[in-house]
Amino acid sequence: MNRNWKEYQKEIADDHYYYARSCIRQNFFPGSEKAFLDIMRNDLNRDCFDDPLHTSCTGIGYHADIVPLDTIMAVVARQFALMGEAGYENFISSCITSFGIYTEILATWEEFPETEERARENLYKATGRTLVKPRNLAHTSDIVFHHREAIAARARHRLVNVLTGEPLRVVEHIGCHYAKIFPKSGVGGSEFPYVLAGMVESWGGQCVDYPERRHCCGFGFRNYLVQANRGYSVANTQKKLESMAPYKPDFIVANCPGCAMFLDKWQYTIAEMEGTTYGENGHGIPVLTYEEMAGLVLGYDPWALGMQMHQVDVEPLLDKMGIEYDPAAKYLGMNGKYIGQPASAIVNCGSQDTIYNIKQ
Amino acid sequence: MAKRVIIVGGGVAGIQTALTLSRRGVPALLLERESELGGKLTGWHKLFPSFTPAHEVLDELRHRLNESDVEVRTQCEVRHVERNGVTLASGERLAADAVVVTTGFTLFDARVKEEYGYGIYDNVYTTVDIERMLNEGRVAMRDGSAPRRIAFLHCVGSRDEKVCQHHCSKVCCITGVKQAMELKTMFPDADVFNFYMDIRMFGPGYEEMYRDAQQRLNIHFVRGRISEASPTLEGRVQIKAEDTLTGRPLKMSVDMLILIIGMRSNASNAVFAADAGLQCQPSGFLAPRDQFLHNTESGVGGIFYAGTVTAPKNIGESLSEAVVAADRVVEYLKRV
Amino acid sequence: MGKYFDMLMEDVRFREGLKSCMNCGICTGVCPAAEFYDYDPRQIVSIVQTRDEEQIERLLKSDTIWFCGECMSCRPRCPRGNTPGYVIQALRTLSQKLGFFVESEKGRQQLALKRTIGENILRTGYCIVPKLVAPALHPEQGPVWEWIYRNDREIYCQFNPTYGQEGPGAVRRIDEDTLQEMHRIFEVTGGRAFFDRIEECSDRKAREMGYDGADQRYFMDVFTRNSQNNDE
Repeated sequence: MNRNWKEYQKEIADDHYYYARSCIRQNFFPGSEKAFLDIMRNDLNRDCFDDPLHTSCTGIGYHADIVPLDTIMAVVARQFALMGEAGYENFISSCITSFGIYTEILATWEEFPETEERARENLYKATGRTLVKPRNLAHTSDIVFHHREAIAARARHRLVNVLTGEPLRVVEHIGCHYAKIFPKSGVGGSEFPYVLAGMVESWGGQCVDYPERRHCCGFGFRNYLVQANRGYSVANTQKKLESMAPYKPDFIVANCPGCAMFLDKWQYTIAEMEGTTYGENGHGIPVLTYEEMAGLVLGYDPWALGMQMHQVDVEPLLDKMGIEYDPAAKYLGMNGKYIGQPASAIVNCGSQDTIYNIKQ
Repeated sequence: MAKRVIIVGGGVAGIQTALTLSRRGVPALLLERESELGGKLTGWHKLFPSFTPAHEVLDELRHRLNESDVEVRTQCEVRHVERNGVTLASGERLAADAVVVTTGFTLFDARVKEEYGYGIYDNVYTTVDIERMLNEGRVAMRDGSAPRRIAFLHCVGSRDEKVCQHHCSKVCCITGVKQAMELKTMFPDADVFNFYMDIRMFGPGYEEMYRDAQQRLNIHFVRGRISEASPTLEGRVQIKAEDTLTGRPLKMSVDMLILIIGMRSNASNAVFAADAGLQCQPSGFLAPRDQFLHNTESGVGGIFYAGTVTAPKNIGESLSEAVVAADRVVEYLKRV
Repeated sequence: MGKYFDMLMEDVRFREGLKSCMNCGICTGVCPAAEFYDYDPRQIVSIVQTRDEEQIERLLKSDTIWFCGECMSCRPRCPRGNTPGYVIQALRTLSQKLGFFVESEKGRQQLALKRTIGENILRTGYCIVPKLVAPALHPEQGPVWEWIYRNDREIYCQFNPTYGQEGPGAVRRIDEDTLQEMHRIFEVTGGRAFFDRIEECSDRKAREMGYDGADQRYFMDVFTRNSQNNDE
C-alpha cells in the first residue's frame, strides 16, 4: 500500500516533566501510568514529577456540558500553577481529553486574553495561587514517541511475529482530541498523525490504514456516560471494528485511554449481544495502550503492566511476540493472593462458559 | 527608435498580448520560463464548452506568432520586474519602455488537502491528471481496469479558509462538468457523481452543458463537500459527505476520486509587487488599478497585466483581456 | 439582533465557532452523531446563523442540540473555519442557563451527568473513580471489570500502594485541602451555581411531570429512558 505518514514535528521537551494523570487511564489502566513513569525514570533516566496535589482537569465534566468554561479554566490554571510551584515548565498529560483541554485553553487565552485574565483572577481568589503557563505542553504519547529510538535500542522484544518473522499488523487509534482540535498540536497533524505510527515502525511493526481509521471510537461523552445513549457509543466502535477486521490486525494500540477502554469493552458487548467477534479464532482483537506496547518491547511482565485488566485476552499477542508469561499468575492479587477469576466471555480465549449475559 | 515592450509569461495571455502589440507596430519581446510556449494550456485535452481540442487554439496562436515579428525567448525566467525592464534569473537585465505581466497562476497542490489522500491512496486523481490521461487516450484505475463509479469533488483548493484560498477559482465548476461528460462518454456504464456546493455556470453555453450532463448523460450532482477519503481493501476509495439537499450523511466507495483543483496565485506576485510597488489582492493575485476602466493596468505607469495573474479566468477571457492590455500599452507609449 | 443570539455571542466558543456557514455539509459528512441519530450539525449552524429568535429558542428546548459527542471531528474540516462542536457547546450552556434543557428528554439527562460526574469531581477530585463504574449500571464493562470492581484494593495496590490513600500515584485519595480548593474554584467561577441551576430546573420539571421532585426515581428515569428505543 502506498502510504506515507508524515512526520512533521512539534516541539517536545526532552526531560523534566510535570506529570498530570488521567481519570480514565488511572481507573482502567493504572499499570500503564506506572509503566510510563518506570520507563521514563528507570529505563531512560528522565525526571518526572508525580504531584499528589494535582486533580482531574474536569474535562469529562466539561465535555458533558456540566462544568462551565470559566470553571475548567480555573482548574487548569491551578494545575499549571502547581507545575510552576514544583519548579517545572514541561507539562505532560496522560489523557487525550485533558491534552485537548490544555491545548484549547492555552489557545483560547491567546485568542481572547480577557479569558486568561479572568482565569488568573479566579485562581488567585479561590486558591491564592499564581498562574504560570507551561513552556512546553505534550501528551505522554508524544514523550514516548520522542524517546522511541532509545526504547528501540533497549528492546527485548520487537513487534514482529516470532514464528513467521513478519511485522505485526497494528491498527493505531489516535483519539479525536489529540489533533482534530488543533492539528498542529499533534505529531503528524490530524489526518496522518505519526505519534503511534512512529513507535510502531521504530519497534518493528506495520501500521494498517483502513477506511474508518480517523473515525471516533464512539465515547461521545454524554453518549456513553448516560446509559440511555450508549447505542451511539457501541455503534461507532462497531463501525471501526467492522472496517478494520478484514485487515486482520494483530492488535490495536490506542493513544487515548478512553478509546483503549471502549475498543476493548465494546468487543465484549458486541460478542455477547450479537455473537460477532473481530479477532482470530473467534476471539477479540487485543487492545493496548502505548505504554503497554512500550513495556512489552522493553521486556516488562504483562501482568505488571496491568494487561489482565483488559476484557479481551492479550495472550495471543504475547505468544506471537515470543513473550514468556505465567498464565496462572494472571488474575492474582497482592503477593500472589488468589482472589478468584473473572467469568469467561466469548471474546476470551479460555472456556466458553459465558455465565454473564448483557441482555439480562 | 521604436519603443520596446516586454511581456513576461508565454501562456495564451502573453502570446496574444505580444501578437496584438506587434500588429500595432510595437516591438514585443515575449519571455517564457519553460522551453515551450503555451502555459497551462499545454497538455490540456479539450476546452469547455465546445470540446474544442486545446491544441487547435495553441497551434493557431503559435502559427500567428511565427508569422509575426515578435521576439521570443524561452527558458528565460524573470526574477524582478520594474517599470523600465526586467531582470532574469541569470542576472541579465533587459530594458523596456513598458512591461506586461502575464505570468498566470499556480495549480493548487492537492497533496495539501491530506484528508483526500492525493499522492497517498491509489485512485485519487486531479483534473490535471485526467486531462493528461485523456490526451494519452487511456483513462483507467491504477490496476488498469475501467472505473464503474467515479466521483468528482469541486472546490479543492478554492473557497477554503483551511488552505488560505478564500477565492473561487471560477473555471473549476465547468471543468468538472466537462470531464464528467468525457468520462461518462468513455464509460457509459459508470455512475459519475459531481460533489459540489454551488455550480457556477458563468459563461455562454455552460448552463446548457450542465443541463446536457444531467439530462442526456445522467451524471449525478450531489450538493455536498466531501469530508474525507480513505482507502479500501480492494483499492477503491471510500468517501464521506452530506447530501445537503436531503440532509443525510452519505458514504460510498468509488473507483476513482477526481479532485477538481483550483488556481493559486503565483509566489512571484509578491516579489514583483515588492520590486515595483505593485499591489497584491488578499488572494495573492495582483491587483489591477480598478475592476472596471483600468482592469489591465497596475497602479504603476508602464506595468500592465493580462490574464490570470490578476484573477482566475477562462481562456476566452484571458485572450480578450490581452487585446485590451495591448491597447492600453500603445496608449501609454504615446504618452511617455 | 435577537437576545438569544446576543447571549450566544457572549460565549467565546460561539465567537470562535461560528463565522459564516455556506452549508457545504462537510461537518455532517464526518459526524459520528449524524450517522447514528437523525441529526445534522450543518442545519444547527444554519439555523443559528439566521439569528431567528423563535428558531433558536426551539433549538434550545429540543433534543437536537444534545446528540453531538463533542469529538470535534468537524473542526479540522470546515472550509470557513467554523466549529459546529463549539456552537453546540455554547447552545448547551445557554439552554441550561435559561432552564430550557428540561424541555427535552436528552436535555433532562444533564441532571444525571451532574449527579454522577459532577458530584464525583467535588467529592473525589476526579471525574471518575472505580466505585462510580458499578457493574449494575455498566453491564457493558464485562466480567473482567466486575472482577476488578469486587477486588479493587487487591488489584490497584499492585500498581500504587497508596491506592485510596493520600500521596502520589494512580487513584490516590486527594487531600482535603486540595478538595477545598476545588470547591472554592467551583464557587468563584459559577460552577457550583451551574450545578444548582441544573438541580433546581430538574426539580421543577420533575414535579410538572408528576414526580415528587428530582428524586432517585426521576434520576434513574432520565439516566435510562430512551424513547427512540421504546418506539421501535
